[in-house]
Amino acid sequence: MTPRGWDGFPRLLHAEWTKFRTVRGWTLGVVTAALMVVLVAVLAGVSSDQRDRPVVPIGPDGGPVTDSFYFVHRPLTRDGSITVSVSALTSSIPTSPGNLRRDTVPWAKAGLIIKDGTRQGSPYAAIMVTGGHGVRMQDDYVNDTADPSGESPRWLRLDRSGNAVTGSTSTDGTRWNTVGTVHVEGLGSTVQGGLFVASPPSVQGMGTDVTVSTADFEDLDTRSGWHGRDWTGDQVGPESAGFAGYPVGTSGSVTESDGRFTVTGAGDIAPAVRYSLPTGGTLKDILTGTFAALIAVIVIGALFITTEYRGRLIHVTLAASPRRGRVLLAKAVVLGSVTAAAGVVGATIALPLGERLARANGVYIFPATTSTQLRIVLGTAALLATASILALAVGAVVRRSAGAVTAVVVALVLPHLLIANPFTPSGLSDWLARVTPAAAFSVQQTLVRYDQVSSVYTPYNGYYPLAPWAGYAVLAGYAVLGLAVAVVVLRRRDA
Amino acid sequence: MRSTPTHPEVVVAGLRKRYGTTLALDGMSFTVRPGLVTGFIGPNGAGKSTTMRVVLGLDAVDEGTALVGGTPYRDLRNPLSHVGSLLDASAPHPARSARDHLLWLAHSQGLGASRVDQVVERVGLTSAARRKAGGYSLGMRQRLGIAAALLGDPPIILLDEPFNGMDPEGIIWMRGFLRSLAEQGRAVLVSSHLMSEVQDTADHLVVVGRGKVVADAGVADLIAAASGNRVAVRTAARPEAMALLSHAGATVAASGRDTVTVSGLTADHVVTLLNRGAIPFSEVFAHRATLEEAYLELTRDAVEFRATSPEEVSR
Amino acid sequence: MKRALHAEWTKTRTVAGPWWLLLGAVVLTIASSALVTSLATCHTAGCHTDTTRLSLTGVHLGQALIAILAVRFLSDEYDSGMIRTTLAAIPHRPTAFAAKAVTLTGVVAVAGSIAILGSLLAGRIILPGNGFTPAHGHPALSLADWPTLRATVGSILYLTLIALLSLGITAVLRDSATSTGAVLGLLYLFPVLAQVIDDPHWQRLLHQIGPMSAGLTIQATTDLHTLPLTPWAGLGVTAGWAAAALAAGGLLLHIRDA
Repeated sequence: MTPRGWDGFPRLLHAEWTKFRTVRGWTLGVVTAALMVVLVAVLAGVSSDQRDRPVVPIGPDGGPVTDSFYFVHRPLTRDGSITVSVSALTSSIPTSPGNLRRDTVPWAKAGLIIKDGTRQGSPYAAIMVTGGHGVRMQDDYVNDTADPSGESPRWLRLDRSGNAVTGSTSTDGTRWNTVGTVHVEGLGSTVQGGLFVASPPSVQGMGTDVTVSTADFEDLDTRSGWHGRDWTGDQVGPESAGFAGYPVGTSGSVTESDGRFTVTGAGDIAPAVRYSLPTGGTLKDILTGTFAALIAVIVIGALFITTEYRGRLIHVTLAASPRRGRVLLAKAVVLGSVTAAAGVVGATIALPLGERLARANGVYIFPATTSTQLRIVLGTAALLATASILALAVGAVVRRSAGAVTAVVVALVLPHLLIANPFTPSGLSDWLARVTPAAAFSVQQTLVRYDQVSSVYTPYNGYYPLAPWAGYAVLAGYAVLGLAVAVVVLRRRDA
Repeated sequence: MRSTPTHPEVVVAGLRKRYGTTLALDGMSFTVRPGLVTGFIGPNGAGKSTTMRVVLGLDAVDEGTALVGGTPYRDLRNPLSHVGSLLDASAPHPARSARDHLLWLAHSQGLGASRVDQVVERVGLTSAARRKAGGYSLGMRQRLGIAAALLGDPPIILLDEPFNGMDPEGIIWMRGFLRSLAEQGRAVLVSSHLMSEVQDTADHLVVVGRGKVVADAGVADLIAAASGNRVAVRTAARPEAMALLSHAGATVAASGRDTVTVSGLTADHVVTLLNRGAIPFSEVFAHRATLEEAYLELTRDAVEFRATSPEEVSR
Repeated sequence: MKRALHAEWTKTRTVAGPWWLLLGAVVLTIASSALVTSLATCHTAGCHTDTTRLSLTGVHLGQALIAILAVRFLSDEYDSGMIRTTLAAIPHRPTAFAAKAVTLTGVVAVAGSIAILGSLLAGRIILPGNGFTPAHGHPALSLADWPTLRATVGSILYLTLIALLSLGITAVLRDSATSTGAVLGLLYLFPVLAQVIDDPHWQRLLHQIGPMSAGLTIQATTDLHTLPLTPWAGLGVTAGWAAAALAAGGLLLHIRDA
């Protein structure tokens, strides 16, 4: 007679499931939601044609890279070392076409590099002075080590021994400090080595400007394994997808007098980021149909409770199951399961389909590991389910479907639109992506922020301020809070 | 799973509920007993529906208790196997069929589809059961509501205005149906704002007005109480008779072209007085009130003025 | 028609819901405009910020409440069955529908004017403190400035058109939740979809035909040549959507059983 435990809950679930599936419009709505995800993925895949655009260079780890810089090189077979002193690194940013202004470019780079040929994306190791981040040793685009000595040395050295490359620095050319030894997989027996200068675009507000940098090198010295006597100056990757080019009126060059090399270069040797690859797409873009699906599941979530009030069906429901909190919970579970299933099905079909169509049209899609793809599929499902449950909770409180639908759609979609609006101040879009339910879209992000690349890392470009599941947790928090309020209100209020 | 309450009755005691400045329930108390059809009668706004919602745990009260089989409704495990109910205007989702509506309700109690088909047949909805409920007439919706009330085969059945929207054939069916439920030993509470709907069906009546019970009695007792000790006199000399009788201390009212209703005097006394006054009369008989009159008598006070206490009524 | 209008006005006037929604729309529009405006800064000359447009950002949010108001203007009648009473009182359905549309237009135009002028005033007060000064090339917002006047009047018209669009859609769909979903989808999905389409031609087209993205070009006061279409043409697109929705809704109301 008296209630004990939760053993009646499965029945409640069964009842709510029967309720759900017997209204054809709701079933149809859920199917539509999954379909929207797939359709927009197809639309995104077929709508862009970039087959005539430059190919995106791929680094040793499979990720896209920027590999465009000015390279002064000679071949090196097997082991050998190279030493140089860098006496000056200056950078300039155009103020207007043809006019340059001296400025600091924090990640302008000048130093030594050993690279498996001049092919874009080939493995390398390098040591360099930078415009604002001291001496760094970097290899294979994504790895970056700061000089631990903390001094400001002028002398740089690279030693190759097989696949191992050791970088060292010195303030006087005699006492050397090791920065690090890296193992570069895939270095052939004969590689290209020498001087390089790179100068990545400088971030100016919500955009970037191309830059150019010039460095003076002295005391160039090579030991064993180096061929020939002449240094060749080349622009690596002049027609590359991630290379913004030189400011008007400048170009890459090398001049030598009295053992002093003056090298001018632009570009970067680093992982590619979204802003430097405007032609690139992400899996999140492919899943843009999530927005349409969201509106559908939000409508269903609100209706699942508000229709009970419209016909006073709630009386029948609560007479059959007087424990109101559990009724709402059963509704949430049924609704969440159904909409999550729609999300899983939609995303599982949409992702590979959209990716394949986009690739066939020459669009570069930022890669994602299998586990990331799984996270995106599950995250999309969770996003739809949670949004729908939030609508259910709001609907239970306000008992008005129009209000519930608007509240949740506005909370989820409007912040995204403001984020995507170029007029929106960046502080506002970051704030929106942190505190509003729209933070949950971060579960679909695939892009990684690199400290060694200055770029426009905004939610609009696919970089959310919160980690994927942390962003989702913001939405989940709203939903849990909403459900708690709804349970309290439902218990207190006369039905 | 089903556990029959030891006393399949509804006991409502001292319910009070206020909506803002309106006192909806003002000490509502009564008992619904097994084996009887209890009519729950009162004018609109007397608190009938509110009381039923309170019994079903849908509305909370400021004071008082409502127990079904000794337990608050909200604590029942499989409530529909204890109490079946039909509330006014409780409508299924328009896009859902009657059968599907009953199916989810059955699932919530752990019942299967076969039980659904049984109750659908019992209320005569079989032919329409698979149609969308949006197209149902009010009478069909009422039958669907009755089917829902029967689903758990409960010993207690509460029906709020079940006759609303029913055609004459439906009303006759409903009366027989309610009788059969009571004969099976169930406690049946049927609310109505029209005495005529329940007078031939109910065994017991709870008459309410302004949120409290104004009469709680068997049908026969209620008629007797309403009739009082009134005497009707048929006479050709009505004004003279009225003057004479009122002079003798009786309360006199003209109740027809040639009829006078007298209260406060016995029939014998009236005959004696009339004979003494030499007023011609053709008939003197004990006045017998109809249930409708009794109801109007009881609720007129309740509606228009202050509530009359049950003691005053039975006097 | 006059009686029908009077009836609609009385219906609107005598329930609290519409007034709360109108108040909410005004408050939310001004508050969100002020919030966005207060977050924008300009430290040097040549910020290239369209301050008028920035001050009117709140319309994005305010229109959602106007949409609920418009949807419920009709859907409440279907929910409660009152539509039958309404049509029994005014059997000529086009008249009944027109009376609703005119009443809605009136109340939204009044509330919209308060919301828009309030947002502009907030911008006028807040912006100079954030560096949007005449010295930096940003004179105070003024209605004497023709583009700003156009943006102001246009935004009020835009809100009215959104209300009419919502009313038309509700007459077609009759359910409040579905209608709200459809209206918000129509407003918000065009700009979202435009983001994924890389083809500039298609992207431009989506901006040109979306009721929100096209209509809000009326708020632009600078760099008009970069817009996908001119301000008035943009508002015309929204008007076209509203007219189409009203026509479809009116027709269905006319031929369908109530």
